[in-house]
Amino acid sequence: MKRDSRELRGRLGRWRDRRRARLLARLLVTLLFLLPLAWMVIASLYPPGQPLPQQLGRLPGLPTGRNFLRIWSLVPMGRYTLNSLLVCALATPLSLIVSSWAGFAISQLSRASQRRWVLLSLAALMAPGVALWPARFFIYRELGWIDTIWALIAPAWMGTSPFFVLMFFRAFRRIPQAIYESARLDGAGVLIIWRRVALPMVRPTAIAVALLAFIHYWGDYLSPLLYLSSDRLTTLPVALQLIQQMSRSDWPLLMAAAVWATLIPVSLFVLAQPVFRGVSQPEET
Amino acid sequence: MPSLPRLTHHNRLLLLLAPYLAGIILLVALPAAMAFGLAFFQYDAISPPRFVGGLNFILAYTDELFGLSVQNSLSLVLLPAPLRVLGAFLAARLFQAGGRYLAPLRAAIFLPSVLPAAAFALAWLWILNPLFGPLNLILRAAGFDAPAWLADPAWARPALVLISLWQIGEGFLVCLAALLDIPPELDDAARIDGAGTIARIWYLALPLVAPVLLLLLFRDAILALQDSFTTILLTTQGGPYYATYTLPLFVYEQGFDLLSFGTASAALWVLYALAGTCVLLLYLVARQWQIGTTEGHFLL
Repeated sequence: MKRDSRELRGRLGRWRDRRRARLLARLLVTLLFLLPLAWMVIASLYPPGQPLPQQLGRLPGLPTGRNFLRIWSLVPMGRYTLNSLLVCALATPLSLIVSSWAGFAISQLSRASQRRWVLLSLAALMAPGVALWPARFFIYRELGWIDTIWALIAPAWMGTSPFFVLMFFRAFRRIPQAIYESARLDGAGVLIIWRRVALPMVRPTAIAVALLAFIHYWGDYLSPLLYLSSDRLTTLPVALQLIQQMSRSDWPLLMAAAVWATLIPVSLFVLAQPVFRGVSQPEET
Repeated sequence: MPSLPRLTHHNRLLLLLAPYLAGIILLVALPAAMAFGLAFFQYDAISPPRFVGGLNFILAYTDELFGLSVQNSLSLVLLPAPLRVLGAFLAARLFQAGGRYLAPLRAAIFLPSVLPAAAFALAWLWILNPLFGPLNLILRAAGFDAPAWLADPAWARPALVLISLWQIGEGFLVCLAALLDIPPELDDAARIDGAGTIARIWYLALPLVAPVLLLLLFRDAILALQDSFTTILLTTQGGPYYATYTLPLFVYEQGFDLLSFGTASAALWVLYALAGTCVLLLYLVARQWQIGTTEGHFLL
């Protein structure tokens, strides 16, 4: 009896130790992933014009938001930001529609067809983007898309990434087929079923795809670099490079620009968190 | 749909797939085929293309920078790929289940992947700054001989690998989904049988998500080649002394700077070989594990 309780206490203690070790590891890893972001934000608040500290723990003065104002006097940051927003406003809904249509249609096909489409999507995922640069340039030129916004949002016509299609497929196939069948018997067409029945049931996936698509177009540095020839449509990632070329060693200014370019996607990501909470951890203890 | 009265249900479904298929053909299949053939032509994007046979291959493959770029691509992008996938897997395992506050912690792991690549590259340029960068301040305070990182030819490549380890969000999510697909009873049973943390990862979780990890590995290797281009252009521009000069830089310079798209396309054949191998392996993996056919486990 006594030995039993001692053993039990020992096991309970080990269990607690393990939990503590796991919590510690989790916090450390989280901290590690947040560190670059934190350093970026801290440096963006350094007062401009002061010598940078060369020792740990020294700050060059009180934190200030002046660097953010300095970017706006250096380059037309408002226009760049609006350009980025415009690209995302067009490309995100388009990606969402194309990828959810495809994912929904695949989930309704026969098993053999499903397999073919999944393999096609996986193969398209493997296509090396670099190998497509030159030829895409010629295709866009034939279509008259060079130096227009169409060159920036072009991938949205294929749902941006086959990965998004696969995400939708994964979500749609979890819905019992009988629900679709009954809607069909009620006389609903494919588009009605997609819009009224299927899409509302995969809301978290739809929001995740929209978010990922937004993040993709917001951060896209390659398309403007390769397919734009004037600065009319310059987006924020290219603007960052412009600012870097103007003042290479003004670190507070550069970090302020980086923080500005990061603000909207990070805010959207944080705001969308409650939507994912219920899905990603079904067996939460 | 009143506008499509004659179509059967099946054909309407195919209509929903049409934009996706058209996009893949126009933006992936056609460009791939074009670049494949363009390797045999001299083309500067202005005058009409001229057939030159194998000349472009000789031009590209005798270029010293080309050999260097392939070497650098291998050591910078392909070799670290397993490291990134392993990191994503271990992070996913760490945040798989149990405990409160899991959701915000998981979100924090994904957060660096939300940042625009250009902004993140600038941030790292600051962090790794030899004189004022916070990392070297810490290293010096701890008594280490801090390297010059991106300014030092010997350290530039490890530094770029280090940067890429922070943006593993997609792999993290895919691993997490795969791990959550494993019935929790399996893990509980192994725990009751006395299997430790490492044993449960090695003998249980790893074999069960192995096909997903393989797919991630292929995708990561190919995607990182393009993703690293942004980081490199904003940090080292291929330097110092061509230490970070990769294949995408060679293709970009040949094609978009020197306007010899034929030579650029010839250089791309290396990439085709790589991607072809990956697709073949993918097919074998998919057949072996029956990906896309089994009921409960779709996994990707």
